[in-house]
Amino acid sequence: MMTIATGTGTADGGRRAALVAAGITSGLFVAGALAADAAPVTRYTLDPAKSTLEFQFQQAGAQNKGKFTRYSVTLDFSPDSPATSKLDVVVETGSLDTGDKERDDTLKGADLLGVAKFPQARFTSTQITKTANGYDAVGKLTLRGVSRDMHVPFSFRTADEQGKPAGYLLGKTTLKRLDFGVGQGDWKSTEWVGNDVSVSYSLRLVPAAAH
Amino acid sequence: MTIRNTSARWGHVAQFLHWLIVVLIITQVILANIAEDLPLGMKKLAMFARHKSVGITILGLAVIRLLWRWANPTPALPTTLKPYERALAAVTHFGLYLLLFAMPLTGWMMTSARGFPASWFGFFQLPDFVPKNDALYNAMKETHDTLALALYAIVFLHVAGALKHHFMLKDDVLRRMLPFTKKS
Repeated sequence: MMTIATGTGTADGGRRAALVAAGITSGLFVAGALAADAAPVTRYTLDPAKSTLEFQFQQAGAQNKGKFTRYSVTLDFSPDSPATSKLDVVVETGSLDTGDKERDDTLKGADLLGVAKFPQARFTSTQITKTANGYDAVGKLTLRGVSRDMHVPFSFRTADEQGKPAGYLLGKTTLKRLDFGVGQGDWKSTEWVGNDVSVSYSLRLVPAAAH
Repeated sequence: MTIRNTSARWGHVAQFLHWLIVVLIITQVILANIAEDLPLGMKKLAMFARHKSVGITILGLAVIRLLWRWANPTPALPTTLKPYERALAAVTHFGLYLLLFAMPLTGWMMTSARGFPASWFGFFQLPDFVPKNDALYNAMKETHDTLALALYAIVFLHVAGALKHHFMLKDDVLRRMLPFTKKS
């Protein structure tokens, strides 16, 4: 019994020592990995020629589409450490284009986007979290002078294009135009123009250093 | 009076379609004129949205009407008519049917070419008839406006003819398209 106990004790001691060693090793490894991951936050900026920023809304029961042609994007991104990542988007509201001058002028007018008084809309993330499908940038959208919490979900992948790195940020979100006062006077009604505006983004980003 | 046409009289369905389309065409003229005069804005958008929905309704009714006409006897014109009067009646009716299709179709092309998708009273969105194209929009607007003038002219002839039959020739050509009238 004693012999067996001693024998077991010896074996236990050996296993414990091995576990401690393994623990230290893996601990060091994790710490090392964290340090390695947290460090490389890459700053990306927009490649406007290969990016689109589009919106859709319901008008009299039919989908109307448009896009913005002038906007800037800055993404400080670390895929495995989204907490240190940050997304900043500035849109020149006057660059709105739905393919029809009358509709564009109406949307840019004082009762809708009011581009004369509010020439820019801006989204700045306060936090980026990892989700099942990609990432979610949570932050503030300032549109027509009103700031509201906003979720900007996106997927991000990097690509090596003939030795030059690039990142692709894709996604879609929805906002309620009336939350931002986009719709004064007659346009406050949602009978003919829906409250929901979906915004889709397909952005090609390049590391800032590569510019 | 019967549901179907007879060789002497229009039936319930043909009469109903005729007068419903009359009411809708008058509605279209009113909506278009109100919309044209409005400044850019939501009220204008709403008027044109209704104009498009009613136009598509007329297009659907025109299809039903033509099918119903083919599936039914057409009441004969009075035998007393001179050949040129028969020809005039035939041309007028053909023109009216043609415009029942041409007006909505050119309107639909207008809205598609302009890049404003249309819906039917908000229930469903119509497919784009043609791709967005400014030159095509201008051509279709011109055509739609010209056809509207042609429609006014042909409707004038149609009404004048019906009244001539009723008051001068004293036959039942008008009466047989009127509900609540006895067969003469």
